[in-house]
Amino acid sequence: MIGLTSLAQAAYPEPMAGATLAHYLAVSAIMFVLGLIGFLTRRNLIIMFLCTELMFQAAGIALVAFGRYHLNFHGQTFVVFILTVAAAEAAMALALIVLLFRRKESLDARSWEDLKG
Amino acid sequence: MSGRLAFLYPEIALFVATCVVMVLGLSRTLKARKASAWVAGLGLVAAGVLAMASTPRMGQASCPISGFVYHDGLTPAMGQVVLAEMVPYVKVMIAGIGLLLLLTMAGTVDREDEARIAAGQAVFDPLRSNRAEFYAFVLFSLTGLMLTASADDLIWLFLALELTSLPTYIMVAISTARNRSREAAVKYFFLGALGAAIFLYGFALMYGGTGHTNLNAIAQHFREHGVSTLSMAGVLLAVFGLCFKIAAVPMHFYTPDVYEGAAPQVSGFLAFVPKTAGFVALLLIVGAVGWEYAGHSAGVTSLFAGDGMEPVKHAAGGRQLPELLRLTLWVIAALTMTVGNVLALLQSSVKRVLAYSSIAHSGYMLVGLIAGPVGSTFTTNGVSAILFYLAAYGVMNTGAFAVLAALERGRDAEGHVGEAESFDDLRGLCASRPMLGWVLVVCSLSLLGLPPLLGFFGKLPLFSVGIAAGEIPLVIVLGLNSAIAAYYYLRLAFTPLLDAKDEGSAAIQAAPFKGRAVAAALSAAGVLVLSLAGGWLMTKAAHAGAYYPSAPVKAESAPISDEPAPLPNDVHE
Amino acid sequence: MLLAALILIPLLFGVLIAFAPDGRARTLAGLGTTLPLLLGAYVATTFDWTTGERMQLGPMEPAAWMKPLGITLSLGVDSVALLLVLLTLLLGPICVAASATAITTRVRTYYAWLLVLQAAMTGVFCARDLIVFYICFEFTLIPMFVLISLWGSTNRKKAAIKFFLFTFTGSVIALAGLVYVAWYATTTSGGKFAGWTFDIGVLESAARTMSAKQQAFVLLALMAGFAVKVPLFPVHTWLPLAHTEAPTAGSVILAGVLLKLGTYALYRFVLPFVPLAVVEYAPLIALLSIVGILYGGLVCWVQTDVKKLVAYSSVAHLGFCILGMFALNNTGLTGSILYMINHGLSTGALFLLIGMVYERHHTRSMKELGGLAKRMPVWATFMVFFVMASVGLPGLNGFVSEFLCLLGAFQASSAWGSGVWHSLGVQKGATPGDLGPWFAAVAGTGMIVAAMYLLIMVGRVVWGKLVLPHGHGADNHGHGHDVPAADSHATESTGGLPPDLTKREILTLLPLAALCLALGLYPKPVLMALQGPVSRTVSMYDEMLRNPRPGPAVEKSAAAERGAP
Repeated sequence: MIGLTSLAQAAYPEPMAGATLAHYLAVSAIMFVLGLIGFLTRRNLIIMFLCTELMFQAAGIALVAFGRYHLNFHGQTFVVFILTVAAAEAAMALALIVLLFRRKESLDARSWEDLKG
Repeated sequence: MSGRLAFLYPEIALFVATCVVMVLGLSRTLKARKASAWVAGLGLVAAGVLAMASTPRMGQASCPISGFVYHDGLTPAMGQVVLAEMVPYVKVMIAGIGLLLLLTMAGTVDREDEARIAAGQAVFDPLRSNRAEFYAFVLFSLTGLMLTASADDLIWLFLALELTSLPTYIMVAISTARNRSREAAVKYFFLGALGAAIFLYGFALMYGGTGHTNLNAIAQHFREHGVSTLSMAGVLLAVFGLCFKIAAVPMHFYTPDVYEGAAPQVSGFLAFVPKTAGFVALLLIVGAVGWEYAGHSAGVTSLFAGDGMEPVKHAAGGRQLPELLRLTLWVIAALTMTVGNVLALLQSSVKRVLAYSSIAHSGYMLVGLIAGPVGSTFTTNGVSAILFYLAAYGVMNTGAFAVLAALERGRDAEGHVGEAESFDDLRGLCASRPMLGWVLVVCSLSLLGLPPLLGFFGKLPLFSVGIAAGEIPLVIVLGLNSAIAAYYYLRLAFTPLLDAKDEGSAAIQAAPFKGRAVAAALSAAGVLVLSLAGGWLMTKAAHAGAYYPSAPVKAESAPISDEPAPLPNDVHE
Repeated sequence: MLLAALILIPLLFGVLIAFAPDGRARTLAGLGTTLPLLLGAYVATTFDWTTGERMQLGPMEPAAWMKPLGITLSLGVDSVALLLVLLTLLLGPICVAASATAITTRVRTYYAWLLVLQAAMTGVFCARDLIVFYICFEFTLIPMFVLISLWGSTNRKKAAIKFFLFTFTGSVIALAGLVYVAWYATTTSGGKFAGWTFDIGVLESAARTMSAKQQAFVLLALMAGFAVKVPLFPVHTWLPLAHTEAPTAGSVILAGVLLKLGTYALYRFVLPFVPLAVVEYAPLIALLSIVGILYGGLVCWVQTDVKKLVAYSSVAHLGFCILGMFALNNTGLTGSILYMINHGLSTGALFLLIGMVYERHHTRSMKELGGLAKRMPVWATFMVFFVMASVGLPGLNGFVSEFLCLLGAFQASSAWGSGVWHSLGVQKGATPGDLGPWFAAVAGTGMIVAAMYLLIMVGRVVWGKLVLPHGHGADNHGHGHDVPAADSHATESTGGLPPDLTKREILTLLPLAALCLALGLYPKPVLMALQGPVSRTVSMYDEMLRNPRPGPAVEKSAAAERGAP
């Protein structure tokens, strides 16, 4: 336990020493917001899915950064699970998209408008 | 170890059943294939019985991940203790309503294939069969729901929520052979992924703000250090993300489209399972934040300041959620109810009406979440009110969707079996199919909240906790919304009862699956029985809602004992 | 047990009818309403009328029901409730008899719902638990909705929906107010948390200790629910529509009992629960009821539809009832309660009479009906009699109650003129003493208006030149038909009925007529019976006004004002 703690607190190599938590969080927040904006504005199904992936990975970056900051492994553990779930979601997304593409030969979300209320 | 594992027996039972179902559904003999539904049912019964048998008490071992010890001495092996009593109740409820939902699923997939095989036009091809997967998905989703209730860690919660949701996307896609099911599935999946990303980011920020992913540790951190801005941002993002699961504003748009696109029985599933998952998750997260913050001064209640309004039975300290969280939930609740009900007025498709009403019901339940456990009785504990309402809503709503599932109209040009969709299709149902018609009457009047039906007894505690927590304006909004809802629920109840049959509704026939009609009958019976003698369920809900604000326990200081801890103050029955 | 039987017998018969053959429905319905009536008569003899303010006949040990919610299945009646129960029971068989020829389609459904409705109404008056009361109160909506929307006339769907939505919206708000009272009661049970209860008696004593401001909010919530039901002036619009569209029996029940649910709830909850607020806002409520009296009267004047006319006259009549109730003195309250019963008798009978004409001629328009005395002398006799009762002719029942209500309003000044009204410049003792008399005087003109429109109606329909739709009478305009050309070539479209009343119809009217006469000539027994509950309520007010409640919760200014000798 002590060994692990000291390892986690060991200094990074020189080029990364200046990066603080805030930097990581900023990157993560920017990724998250970009993903959100992309999701809301793009209409290509694959791009939309990639945007949600971007948001997932933004959370991953934040978690790793926080894990380092708090000096425990929960964040990194979390990220491993997120990657797994993201892979499952990707498989499902591609399956659904292929299903749709076979019917309409289009990836544009606007071509699917049977359901309107 | 085994004691801790006992906590997960229901999930394990469901998982075993799932595996068996997956194999059985691929069998070449029809009998074995048909058995898959029965095995699924057995699995649910077993899960329910096991959940009833496991009654964790505060301080007792209740959570299985025992290998994990965090370096700060906190162990996740205690279960979520802030709302510890909730788990068995929720699991039994899931098993019970899961059984009803399972009955409605009869013949959802494979109908055409099986018909061809029976007619000798085709041979069974395991690669083309969906039956195994479909029932397995139902069980997977329910397993995820149970795991959500057991969650004591953000990681676990995230995984459980995803396990609940991912199978439902496929269920929507394969529920009918029509294009609109596919479209609904894609819509549902994409918005679901967005919602998941949002609450995941919220979880990340909560972890960042507290340094823990364990909910008890987070709860303790909040109580010792208050809720930092970062954590609050995380909690709010988590709430917004979970709004997708409960179909609340601002993540509600998908609901009508998806419910309309999916087969009615799957829509019924969506109305209960993800919603319950969302509410349980919200309870866990909001419960970790706690309801003990300094009183609010907003709204009409301030008029009563110093007027004897101080509640006598408050959890130690304050009496409400942190103001920002309260305000957010308040706005979400008010908007959700109003948007759901008002838009439901404009619909002509029954499924869309039920979809919008499902949005509105989420809004009602949020009142309980905002109020929280003001006292420990059923009428003053918002958590109990939500838990009871979830069960009540599950029964009534399953009944309504089961009726739709039990009806169909002839095949259209493409050979797809049509559904009973518009109100006109239901005309004269009470005369032509009295059982289904009356089930619809009872269930819609109950959903409306008309006394003395179950929905009324669900709403009454929401009224009382709202008032007890001083959220009187919100209670008025709730009341007015119930009145708006009366308009479309009356239409739903009285179109089958009062209108005469016409050509459109004459084309409606019974679907050739007994299970759906049986599910409808059972739901209506459940509504009636619980309306007349639902006291025991309320007592259970009152126990299940027990709240332990000071619960977080250090592993060293609280050795696991076999003695059940005494119940908190006095849970009145 | 007796009271439970009064509720359960119609309910059981209702279920029985639903499964019985169509031919038996009416017999069963007759049985299901007559049995409770006989039982009710027996109950009336066992009731101790000398202590009418005491809740009686309830089971000793109330059975808990839905225990976690604190609901108990407790029943009991005081003399006010019992009188209204008896009115309900009396109207039951009358409605069944009145529907004999009017209802020909879906007979089983009709009588089943009618009996369920009666059970629910009886339940409202018998309930001693708030939630049981509320359940019955709300459940009356469903049978009435069905009655109107299946057997009503042309515009029935709209009328039924409007009726349901208006009353449902109101009562949901009222529920919030009632639950607030229950919550308040749990917080003030002497520090000892005895659990949640909805027992009306317990809540009554707890509610009185609320501060003036709290009481005002509760009053607002309760009025939102009950004023719609009464209906009080600005929220009355559902009533004429519902009355006009409802089938005859529906109108009779609506006027006879359903409206009384509102006034009864005002008497049972508003007066004892929130006295401070009632004292404060009584003039406002009285004002609204006077507006209702005059407005209702004036609208009646221009009506050509007889049924609509009687419906609007209900608005006016209930205005008197509320005016008397909020006079907050013995005279007014007694008159008000008596009015509830009298209005049920006379207006119920008027609707029956209109229904009888409608069955024969399929119209209710005053332009198409006239001089019916020549054709239907018996009908005309009853019509004139009940119109006189409704107008308030001395010697008939309407006069007693209307007079008492107005007299009460005259004397009401002693309770009024505090709080807001004080701050508006209304001084207690100086000008406010005149407020009551002025109110009563203005309301009194309502009586004159009522006399005018009712007599004009009688003059046209009963006397004058004989006019029948498609008949051989003169100037037959023939527009405004509800039933399209039922039998346009038949000169006397009486729907298979003899021109004048049948024996059955006379028998349905006779008991009402007898009661109208009896209550008009010798109201003393009823007045004596009402003395207990009335003086209990009024003495509470007198006590409160004489000795304002000490303690911080009492509003300072009001206390100072009332404390002044």
